[in-house]
Amino acid sequence: MGMKIKAKMKDGVTEVKLLLSSPMVGKEESETKKVPVSYLTHVTAKVGGKVVWEASTGPFLSKDPYFMFNFKGAKAGDEIVVETIDDKGAKDSDKDVIK
Amino acid sequence: MKRRKFLSLGAVAAAATVIPASLSATDFRATAPKAWEAPTSKEAIEALFGSAAATEGKIEIKAPKLAENGGAVPIGIKSSVELTTIALFQDANPRSAVAVFELGDNGVVDMMTKIKMRKTANVTVVGKGKDGKLYSVVQRVEVSIGGCGG
Repeated sequence: MGMKIKAKMKDGVTEVKLLLSSPMVGKEESETKKVPVSYLTHVTAKVGGKVVWEASTGPFLSKDPYFMFNFKGAKAGDEIVVETIDDKGAKDSDKDVIK
Repeated sequence: MKRRKFLSLGAVAAAATVIPASLSATDFRATAPKAWEAPTSKEAIEALFGSAAATEGKIEIKAPKLAENGGAVPIGIKSSVELTTIALFQDANPRSAVAVFELGDNGVVDMMTKIKMRKTANVTVVGKGKDGKLYSVVQRVEVSIGGCGG
């Protein structure tokens, strides 16, 4: 578990770099590699309780998924909260302050 | 009185079964389960967006000409039209759908992620515009060493 979030503001646009932690193993890879199925199914980023970006995800994202995304409307000092859930329903959450 | 009690219990039970299923309002794994099992991009796109025609030339995929590591192929997505939903597909793995992104009201279509590709194949992005129309782009991505897609 665990994740890394870096959010910085430039010209009114917040750029987020997000590195998550998951083997992202689907049923096919589980069979060939004899490892358990385990992958993230959803990632949500919120600022002030409002969803700014979200992803429904599957096992063909790379191991320890990486995302970069952009949005407007936030300001430096705002807190961004990222929540994840996996195929077993296990949740994780972390936050960063927008610089 | 009994009836009212029964109804309120029903509402509580319904809420309890709905809430843990998703963190958000837009869980495309729940709303379009078939899309995630589809072996080809064509089938996955139809399961997610229906069979309406999509406009080409507005969305841009930024990917390496030759990806050296099929386990983590960087795929950048930009668009000249405003999009609310952006879905990423490939035909290099047993199943096509990779991720479906949903942007908030202030979303900017400039994103990047990394995907698995066990062989050279087409990568497709389909986006739903704020105008309700569909936009798409297909790009062939060459992979020199396959990823672990199964």
